[in-house]
Amino acid sequence: MKLVATEEERDLAAAMRDLFATHCPTTLVRALREPGGERFPQKLWEALTRAEVFALPFGEDVGGSGGTLDDLAVVYAEAGRALCPSIVLNTLHLGLAIDALAGPEQRAAVLAPLVRGELRGSVALASPYDAGDVRPVLRAERVTEGVRVSGRVDHVGDADLADRLLVTAELATYGEPARTIALLLDPSAPGVTRTALPTSDGDRGHAVELDGVAVATDSVIEDVDLATLRRVALTVRALQCVDMAAGAEAVIERTVAHTTSREQFGRAIGSFQAAQHLVADMHIATQAARLAARSAVFWLGRGRPGQRETAVAVLKAATAYRRVTLDAHQLHGGMGYVLETDLHLWSERARRLGVEGGGPDAAAGWIEEAIGLV
Amino acid sequence: MDFELDPGQRQWLQEVRAFLREHVTPALVAELAEHDLEKRDGELAAFRRKIGDKGWFGLNWPTEYGGLGLGPIHQHLLVSEFERWGVPGPDLTVTSVAPMIMRHGTEQNKAEFLPPIARGEMVCAVGYSEPDAGTDLASLRTRAVLDGDEWVINGSKIWNSGAQRSTHEWLCVRTNPDVPKHKGISVIIVPIDAPGISIRPLMAWSGYRTNETFFDNVRVPATNLIGEVDKGWRYITGALDLERGALTNAGDLRRAVDDLLALAREPRRDGVVPVHDAGVRRRLAELDADVEVATLMGFEAASLLEDGTIPSVEVSTEKIFTSELRQRIAEAALDLLGPDGLLGHNTAAAPLAGSFERLYRAAPLLRFGAGTNEVLRDVIAQRGHRMPSYGR
Repeated sequence: MKLVATEEERDLAAAMRDLFATHCPTTLVRALREPGGERFPQKLWEALTRAEVFALPFGEDVGGSGGTLDDLAVVYAEAGRALCPSIVLNTLHLGLAIDALAGPEQRAAVLAPLVRGELRGSVALASPYDAGDVRPVLRAERVTEGVRVSGRVDHVGDADLADRLLVTAELATYGEPARTIALLLDPSAPGVTRTALPTSDGDRGHAVELDGVAVATDSVIEDVDLATLRRVALTVRALQCVDMAAGAEAVIERTVAHTTSREQFGRAIGSFQAAQHLVADMHIATQAARLAARSAVFWLGRGRPGQRETAVAVLKAATAYRRVTLDAHQLHGGMGYVLETDLHLWSERARRLGVEGGGPDAAAGWIEEAIGLV
Repeated sequence: MDFELDPGQRQWLQEVRAFLREHVTPALVAELAEHDLEKRDGELAAFRRKIGDKGWFGLNWPTEYGGLGLGPIHQHLLVSEFERWGVPGPDLTVTSVAPMIMRHGTEQNKAEFLPPIARGEMVCAVGYSEPDAGTDLASLRTRAVLDGDEWVINGSKIWNSGAQRSTHEWLCVRTNPDVPKHKGISVIIVPIDAPGISIRPLMAWSGYRTNETFFDNVRVPATNLIGEVDKGWRYITGALDLERGALTNAGDLRRAVDDLLALAREPRRDGVVPVHDAGVRRRLAELDADVEVATLMGFEAASLLEDGTIPSVEVSTEKIFTSELRQRIAEAALDLLGPDGLLGHNTAAAPLAGSFERLYRAAPLLRFGAGTNEVLRDVIAQRGHRMPSYGR
């Protein structure tokens, strides 16, 4: 037990902060959301590949560096501070899911190129409204060379950029109980329709419609264990909480910098007690979120089901990030409210990550379940 | 970051629990239920001696000072577990006075005071606030003047909790009126039965007793000065940071929420089971989550201590978070119990012997005690984020 960053964690954090400062400035974040512009952060991707970020949490058997989920949390914190584009994180989510669910051949087939930065991906493993709900929404049937799958999954991140999309489906076989399988889809395959669901922050989730899409046997993961699936979905959610807590920290730093340099009534607005107390409350909420998020990742990485821990993390991180950004707008005044300044970029990420996979309401429900209130 | 107790720490927790199972007797619980009117003898005093016999008051001190040489995490586990059982364990004498003596005291200070503290024989009340200088601690006026080889002390202290059952005062005094107010303060250990000391009880809304203590030409040996003269402000702020860490432990909050969860599953006098209401469940889930967070904050502060630093911004954060959470727990309890929650402390009809009725009255204390939350918000902004001072 020691709730202090280790020297290795501090070194990794410093290296990642440098990398993102160089390769992920807010100008890149803005450029990626321009309508009609390039959506893929090529240079950042290359830098992350060189830094072996895609290799970090995976085993040496697939070319990974054998790090832990805790190491990945350090990366997520810096990614969250810098508003790292979602295709990077979604690709890591695909890797985590394959690592947990797939057999040796499929692991090698997906993780080896992923680790080398040669494969982009995304996942749709749980309800986008509730990461604890992993009941499949797609329906599959067995055919000679594999399965055919139909149905619609909503709010799939980066479905336009991904080479592979991991989804789950219920496989009905006559005379047998229905089973859950996972499928590695090529989103550009015949029968797949991707419809962008545009949001005000330019981030493009998609509705992915499958109309009898053929998936070959080697892309099917048979017999998915729902408990494992749920743990992967919660792991993704817990990592997003790390992202949120760190994003909130970055917003506090920007806000403090603004309020200590901006003068009104002949003194820095950061010298007013009301402003300081708002910052203190932002700090308290953020520290609560940071500890809860790291705790959830830690326990998930050690094999706990993690529902309660992740729920605590979501409750704290989703509320903290949103509150911190809104209070930051208050402390910046008009100076932070216009689109020429960057603050709204974090506010939008807070809004998105706060709800994707279930916000505080869903998380409270997970706790009620975990402590036996329902 | 490592969130898991190691085998030694788990073993320690088992040992602490075994001690509590054996020694938290119905007689002790009954004495504690009579509010906090602790006496110098009685069940609680006997319980303290048992803790002293185990060497647990000095559990994280170096063995050269009579300690067991265990770490701050061990101490944190013990204090949390005692709070969870609702019994007093190591108090401020152990958790904040002794470490300051160890860090800053003279060799004679250490030899004279640390062994009896470790045995549980020496208990200090902390004399900081004065009637005209509550939160503005540095404005204290109680004076100590050197007369030969004795200090002569005059003045008074307020909110002097525990003076009625202490053996000594950890007393902050002004030793130099001619320098800026933070620079002329010293700390002197004063035996509580020295001639010239009188204690007046002040009863608080919660049933808690605190005191006003008067010092009229009280004489103590010059060697009772802790460390160096006029350097006391550093010792006080260090002790206060440690005090906040120790006082804001989430052990009692875990117990309160567990009690509340159990209560909410039972029918009230009107037959309604509170958890059948979705709004109540949501509120309980949030409180449960916040206690988990408060627990993590406690472990973080203890981890920093284990690394050799006195956490300051961290314990201010923890103190604000836990004190406001304690209030919310009590509010939720009174809301879900309705009129049943008003039934007085220790009355037969009261749910859980009125513990939530009492908690509601007790909760404000830690919002302003040990440094008001407003001042601690200043600490977070100014020490934690380097925001400019506004002249305090």
